[in-house]
Amino acid sequence: MHAEKLQHDFEPKIVAFVCTWCTYAGADLAGTSRMQYPANVRVLKFPCTGRIDPVFILRAFQKGADGVLVSGCHPGDCHYMAGNFHARRRFAAFRALLGFVGVDLERLQFSWVSAAEGGKWVEVVTELTEKVRAMGPMKEFKALEDEEQWSGALNTPELREAFESIT
Amino acid sequence: MNAKAEKIRVASIDPSYYQAVTDAIRTEAVKLLSEEAVVAVVGYLPGRRIGTAVPGLVTTPEQAQQLIFSPACVNNLSLYLTKAKKGVLKKGKVAIIAKGCDLRALAGLMGESQVKKEDIYTIGIACAGVFGANSDRKGGLTEASIARKCRECTVHQPEGVDLLVGTLPELPQLTALEAQELARLEALTPEERWAYWKEQFSKCIRCLACRQVCPFCYCEQCLCDKNRPQALESSPRPAGNTAWHIVRAMHLAGRCGGCAECERVCPMDIPLNLLNRRMAMELKELYDYEASMVPQEKGPLTRYQEDDDQSFIK
Amino acid sequence: MSLLITETNLRSLVDALVKGATLVVGPKHSGSVVLYQPLAAGSDLTLDELPRRSAKELYFPVCEDILTFKRENGKLEVRDIDRSRFPETVLIGAPPCDAGSPSILDAVFSWDYNDEFFLERRRKSTIVGIACTKGDDACFCTAVGLAPDAKAGSDLFLTPLLGGSFRCEPVTEKGQALIDKHAGLFSEGAAGEPVAFADQSTGKLDLPKIKEWLNGHFEDPLWESIADICVGCAACAFICPACHCFDINDEGNPDNGTRRKHWDACGFSKFTNHASGHNPRDIQNKRYRNRIMHKFKYYDDKFGKTLCTGCGRCIRACPVGIDIAEILDTINKKAQQG
Repeated sequence: MHAEKLQHDFEPKIVAFVCTWCTYAGADLAGTSRMQYPANVRVLKFPCTGRIDPVFILRAFQKGADGVLVSGCHPGDCHYMAGNFHARRRFAAFRALLGFVGVDLERLQFSWVSAAEGGKWVEVVTELTEKVRAMGPMKEFKALEDEEQWSGALNTPELREAFESIT
Repeated sequence: MNAKAEKIRVASIDPSYYQAVTDAIRTEAVKLLSEEAVVAVVGYLPGRRIGTAVPGLVTTPEQAQQLIFSPACVNNLSLYLTKAKKGVLKKGKVAIIAKGCDLRALAGLMGESQVKKEDIYTIGIACAGVFGANSDRKGGLTEASIARKCRECTVHQPEGVDLLVGTLPELPQLTALEAQELARLEALTPEERWAYWKEQFSKCIRCLACRQVCPFCYCEQCLCDKNRPQALESSPRPAGNTAWHIVRAMHLAGRCGGCAECERVCPMDIPLNLLNRRMAMELKELYDYEASMVPQEKGPLTRYQEDDDQSFIK
Repeated sequence: MSLLITETNLRSLVDALVKGATLVVGPKHSGSVVLYQPLAAGSDLTLDELPRRSAKELYFPVCEDILTFKRENGKLEVRDIDRSRFPETVLIGAPPCDAGSPSILDAVFSWDYNDEFFLERRRKSTIVGIACTKGDDACFCTAVGLAPDAKAGSDLFLTPLLGGSFRCEPVTEKGQALIDKHAGLFSEGAAGEPVAFADQSTGKLDLPKIKEWLNGHFEDPLWESIADICVGCAACAFICPACHCFDINDEGNPDNGTRRKHWDACGFSKFTNHASGHNPRDIQNKRYRNRIMHKFKYYDDKFGKTLCTGCGRCIRACPVGIDIAEILDTINKKAQQG
């Protein structure tokens, strides 16, 4: 793993919001089956994709994610019957909104990964990681974090340094 | 020459049409209040300055004589049924003046169980259009002063109201500026669109007028006011502003009635209705949903079908 | 004989200042709005429209950092913002309603605590005011004791003359220093007729009487009748040249972040909300009452000044058309009746 990591100039940060019943179990299966997948992914577990608020995705990008994955149970398999059906509509709408604001949708991936699909988890995570790696860092939201309204901007070396130390 | 002819035609709507609507509103309001059929009428009163009107809650037949309708009656009054005036509803039935666009909001609120149909008496106005924000109001309603939303209005004639007032004059065809702007933005690359919105959002000072005038922003606790944990930055910097406007548009997706009040009140002229309208287009395309003047039981994001599009999901 | 400057030279003055590493702030187009913004050159200066936002943000930014903090090896290091780095600034093209506000705010920012963020910026700035010829029916500066040609607050005051030049009157030493430093751009000559000042639609208010009425009418049916329609946004307060409430927020995370000061407003329901959930200003008209009280009573009680310059921005911007000039007129009439 370590040797492989050194080969790349850029290691993207991928945040994965997953449901606990299917995708989290699927990722777990990938692990117990000793399957390899990029260590770039940070998994956050939720009860259901229906609980994954679009704000979480936004926040992830704002706080430095280069790519975001949202994954849960296949349609019909939701532990809460319809959580993923609602999520599907919500994410379709949110995707359109982000696209309209100018976010590159290639950085945002949705998937259905069941508890039995350890292989699919590996595939989805690997594909997204490599795609985002090729795209380079997500600069837009990070650049915004540093911007000020003119009246509050203080372009002093001290402040620059202070900002740069904030991650 | 053509534009000038159009201008005159729009301006010519003015006097008798608005006077007739005003008279009809007064007659009805006086009747409702004197018969005690309602406890109050939410309508428009004249403002001090030329070409202005203010929302007003009238409770006596005498006050009802002051009600007006003019191109200055821009506000969506349904706002007062869920926020500041919420208490009024408990005292009894309230009459409310609604243009077609306001009516969609009212219907939406009924659909979301915020307002009960039997608690209100709707006076719908066959509306020829109102002033846009910051327009020159001295010459009446002209092509230059009409609101952008009114240029492509599809709800001049209200439906499902308790009383309809006004007879629509002949309306000129105006170019759909907002649709053009939307198409222009859609044709840009994502980078260009990001640059466009970045500039727009950077002007935001977070006065939250967009939230406060929105009939649908009735949450007791807004996500953007929460600070532990903080869902989005409350400081009016470009980062938090962008997050706020994205979240706002998302929370209104499938609910927004398109009254464009958010855009009208923005002191920094951020074209917020473009976001709302883009979302409405998307939901129409995906789920064949459109805001309407009659209540619908569920919005597009509160229902689902098993065979909804999932081409974007792996 | 008067001291004059042509419009071309006024723009050259901006150029010269910018080249001299001074931050020059003035009205500038930004899309459909005019805002006070840093000018890159004299050609950016727009003098035909009142900016949407007031000039207060020059001293009291929309949002500014006041310190940064970082935890390293278990120790929290706090770094203050170095205020000596604030740039020398010239505010140019501010009408009396904007030029007059910082001197009103000095009192509160140097009252029981010296707010060095505000005061340091004040010390380092020069205000070039300009007589107002562009008023509309929302303006009421004369009603609150100013005038389209009031020099209060300006260091150097310009009066537009027919023909395009400006008559220049130094008001303070700072203003004189600015003239002396750029003497070549000014010339002595006979001042022609000034451009007509903006008309004012409202009569002069009896501010002491208004205050007296406010003293005795904290509870009054008036508040309900004028402010029940208020929707509780902060458009009025944020674009006001005199409103100066702010909130302080820590952003980032407990180990690494920034403490920020940003505008806040009494119109927000959260403004007075207690941690317990109790809100002493529980309904909107009480919040609006505070706006009037603070401007025309409390600030006068404490500092002997009125916290309003009559720019009319709140009237133009209010989503529901609340008209402070009309309200003051109503109170004025009540006050006269006793």
